[in-house]
Amino acid sequence: MSNIDRRNFLKMSAGLAAGAATGEVLAQGKKAGAAPTLNLKPEKGAKLRVLRWKRFVQGDEDLWLANTKKFTEKTGIEVRVDSEGWEDVRPKAAVAANIGSGPDIIISTFEDAHQYPDKLVDVTDVANYLGAKYGGWYDSSIAYGTAHGKGKKWIALPMGCAGNALVYRDSHMKAAGFSAFPKDTDGLLKLMQALKAKGTPGGFALGNATGDGNVWCHWLLWAFGGKMVDTKNNVVINSPETIKALEYAKELYQTFIPGTLSWLDPNNNKAFLDGQISLTCNGISVYYAAKTSPDPKLKAIAEDIGHANMPIGPVGRPTELNLVFPMMVFKYSKFPNAAKEYLRFMMEKEQYEPWQQAAIGYVTQPLKFYESNPIWTVDPKHTPYRDAMKVMQPNGYAGEMGYASAASMADFIVVNMIAEAASGSKTPKEAAERAEKRAQRYYKV
Amino acid sequence: MSKDEAQDTQGMNYLDSLPRRVVIVYIPLLIFLFVLLFPFYWMAITGFKPNAELLSRTGNPFWVIAPTLDHFKHLLFKTAYPDWMWNTILISTISTFFSLFASVLAAYAIERLRFTGSRQVGLSIFLAYLVPPSILFIPLAYIVFQLGLFDTRWALMLTYPTFLIPFCTWLLMGYFRSIPFELEECALIDGATRLQILTKIVLPLAVPGLISAGIFAFTLSWNEFIYALTFISSSENKTVPVGVITELVEGDVYHWGALMAGALLGSLPVAVVYSFFVEYYVAGMTGAVKE
Amino acid sequence: MNRLLENRNFLGFAFMLPAAVLLLLFLTYPLGLGTWLGFTDAKVGRAGVWVGLENYIYLYGDAVTRLSLFNTLFYTVVASVIKFALGLWLAILLNQNIPLKSFVRAAVLLPFIVPTALSAIAFWWIYDAQFSIISWALVKLGWIDTYIDFLGQPWAARLSTIAANIWRGVPFVAICLLAGLQTISPSLYEAASIDGAKPSQQFWYVTLPLLTPIIAVVMTFSVLFTFTDFQLIYVLTRGGPLNATHLMATLSFQRAISGGALGEGAAIATAMIPFLLAAILFSYFGLQRRAWQQGGSDK
Repeated sequence: MSNIDRRNFLKMSAGLAAGAATGEVLAQGKKAGAAPTLNLKPEKGAKLRVLRWKRFVQGDEDLWLANTKKFTEKTGIEVRVDSEGWEDVRPKAAVAANIGSGPDIIISTFEDAHQYPDKLVDVTDVANYLGAKYGGWYDSSIAYGTAHGKGKKWIALPMGCAGNALVYRDSHMKAAGFSAFPKDTDGLLKLMQALKAKGTPGGFALGNATGDGNVWCHWLLWAFGGKMVDTKNNVVINSPETIKALEYAKELYQTFIPGTLSWLDPNNNKAFLDGQISLTCNGISVYYAAKTSPDPKLKAIAEDIGHANMPIGPVGRPTELNLVFPMMVFKYSKFPNAAKEYLRFMMEKEQYEPWQQAAIGYVTQPLKFYESNPIWTVDPKHTPYRDAMKVMQPNGYAGEMGYASAASMADFIVVNMIAEAASGSKTPKEAAERAEKRAQRYYKV
Repeated sequence: MSKDEAQDTQGMNYLDSLPRRVVIVYIPLLIFLFVLLFPFYWMAITGFKPNAELLSRTGNPFWVIAPTLDHFKHLLFKTAYPDWMWNTILISTISTFFSLFASVLAAYAIERLRFTGSRQVGLSIFLAYLVPPSILFIPLAYIVFQLGLFDTRWALMLTYPTFLIPFCTWLLMGYFRSIPFELEECALIDGATRLQILTKIVLPLAVPGLISAGIFAFTLSWNEFIYALTFISSSENKTVPVGVITELVEGDVYHWGALMAGALLGSLPVAVVYSFFVEYYVAGMTGAVKE
Repeated sequence: MNRLLENRNFLGFAFMLPAAVLLLLFLTYPLGLGTWLGFTDAKVGRAGVWVGLENYIYLYGDAVTRLSLFNTLFYTVVASVIKFALGLWLAILLNQNIPLKSFVRAAVLLPFIVPTALSAIAFWWIYDAQFSIISWALVKLGWIDTYIDFLGQPWAARLSTIAANIWRGVPFVAICLLAGLQTISPSLYEAASIDGAKPSQQFWYVTLPLLTPIIAVVMTFSVLFTFTDFQLIYVLTRGGPLNATHLMATLSFQRAISGGALGEGAAIATAMIPFLLAAILFSYFGLQRRAWQQGGSDK
């Protein structure tokens, strides 16, 4: 093993290299099935600062910090983890990238890595190593992790995503005459109408809810074949498919409980746990809150909760959007190898699995191997969240991720369009035209 | 309550009978006091409540049954709160003293040296006082980035004086004006320099003004939010208000106990300083307005 | 050398230097820079190019910006009027001969000196949708039967944030007006009552005219600070629900710092300046002159 090899790159079995879709794989196949190795040499006296989003479930933070401590014990590298509200991490990361100082590692959201790809350390070696070892990355992981253009080098490692699914009250669904949760959009509409007729309606956030609002509205738009841009980043939101989605939204909205137009991220959680709604779209945190509550009333709700994947629309395939968390190492960091080593360590089975378990699956893995984590099967209610990363469509679909896709989402163009059409304050045509105008402002750059 | 001792009722003593006074003065005043002080009581009581009591809907929420120091312990040992406290003290103190220094010189120059254009300068100082931080923070952020001061305490120590100096100067101008010119003239004839006059004669006479300006400047910097929010990124450089808002507020579950404990602890230092110098504080506040 | 040190202009220059350097660098320059940025498309980390009025044209057609302008005006007008009325009332109450006078006065000012961001957290908790103490009390009293969603509904959120702003601002207005009241000579009231003026007449014809100059200044400050408020909204609602509480200051922060569009944010901030100037000029000329006219015509 030459020194260069050891310092720089990894050795991996050729058989597993297929998992990592990259042209720069340095595969030295020997015998199939051999564990890949990666020898990063952390800088002497390295110290790391990590900025991540503030946890939604307590178990996440506890285990993340415990794993970090383990890392420090093993390597002697001090790591300081700061966490801030997830909506605040984005602007901080943008400022850090552009000023050239800040935390060594930032764990942010969505397509952040694509907003400043040239400020990020190439993490292809770690990505290939992990991909080879853990059954390969999902397509969406690759989309979020690799830079556009030739060579597809990795600029970020997805930590996973907060999966979203439909959360419903099983008994209310049965009372409305459904024995199993519908699999398509037509079925969902019928279920919602039946729930409304029974006086146990559902509701989805239509306010400027960065998480829940964006997630379900994009799913809806995509389910009918509508999209913000084509593959060349031309704005094509004002299309017949979009109009169909908006007409569906209008019908669906008739079945909502009042007030959803101003709902933010926490509103549907509260309303669901308060028994006001019987169906909504959310992460597993509603179930987590109900299950871990000492209140017997909430415990009973937890018993009654069911989860189902987002139904499939006319396009005939899943069209979920989920909240992906990219982990980025910045070029200004004095200890890039230590930072990469930290990321590798945290993604290894010994750390990743218990961490996923502590968060009862709040974060869905980006690597196929972790589908086998027992957390997904120990409680059947966890299972729908297992495939979040596998079936999702990335931000900015069908175009490229970058400044424009991030800015359009931050401006709630899709959410506002659906809210306007659903509530009837604009016709579907007007709403789509307005969205088109707003989007063009960002995509012209 | 005879009319003789009611010197300062100032002609409002038509409200003389006791029942009338109760209805017209005491009851409204008590309501005012209740509304103005209730949030502090609520802050304190929440800070000492154990979580179980906080989220129970039974029992009397106005009282705490089993007080706990958990929230404070969490704050002091598990968060960067002590860092934030130290930063706030450091930044407030330094920017206050620096602003006082610059303001004393400026106010003396405008009010006493009467250099050419001093009136215009005095007026522009007043106008500078009217420029709100929420207009300035974006270009200031730009400047802070360029100067390489982003995420340092210097960013705040240098920008806080922009709202402290106009205020302090304006206030001190008023105080200096009230010091008789004759004192200075005598000293000038005796051969004292301007600097000596300032330090030996004017400043000692303006001590109340200095205290007022200092106290007011200190609380203004302690309360500052938007600059600290924009220019500081790392946890260990944050000030108390920003630290509490950005780091104690999390996800979709709020830890009210720790939040309230943090708010309470963060308010105490200014409240203590203020309680010792109420008169000066009021004089500072009203002095600046009355000019 | 000594001659130089005795020269007023040189000394004045030297004494002004520290304040002037700081204010020019961190106040005047940013003020100009902000105006310039408003005409560019600057982003975080990227110097902008001149785009003329494009930002303003876009903002003019932007529904959120328009809404935030409405919110800001509504917030400022309602809060300022109520602050003035309550502040004047409180000042008159405090001007009475009451027990524990200095203690009461000190306690009243407390909301003003405590960091707004921190007291706003207390309000946030008071306004909590599920555990609000106000809702609890009202339910117990039997006045309402469901908890009020203070910060979740557009109009409720607007009024709730205004209430918190009033809570913080009333002490300032009251204490300043109290200082004004105390400068009014008792002999004026004596003269008025000898002339047979009723208490209400004394208030309208003696107190108010004499107080007008100070009211003008106090309300200028009050309007200015309310119009440019940031922290209260940032803590309580961040502009939500449905942008119903976005003020221009919070919107410019969201666009410039959170969204990275420095130019657009600067344009929003710059758009506040004409309103501020109008408020200052109005109080300066409008109220000052009325005071002078009344003072003149009374005699």
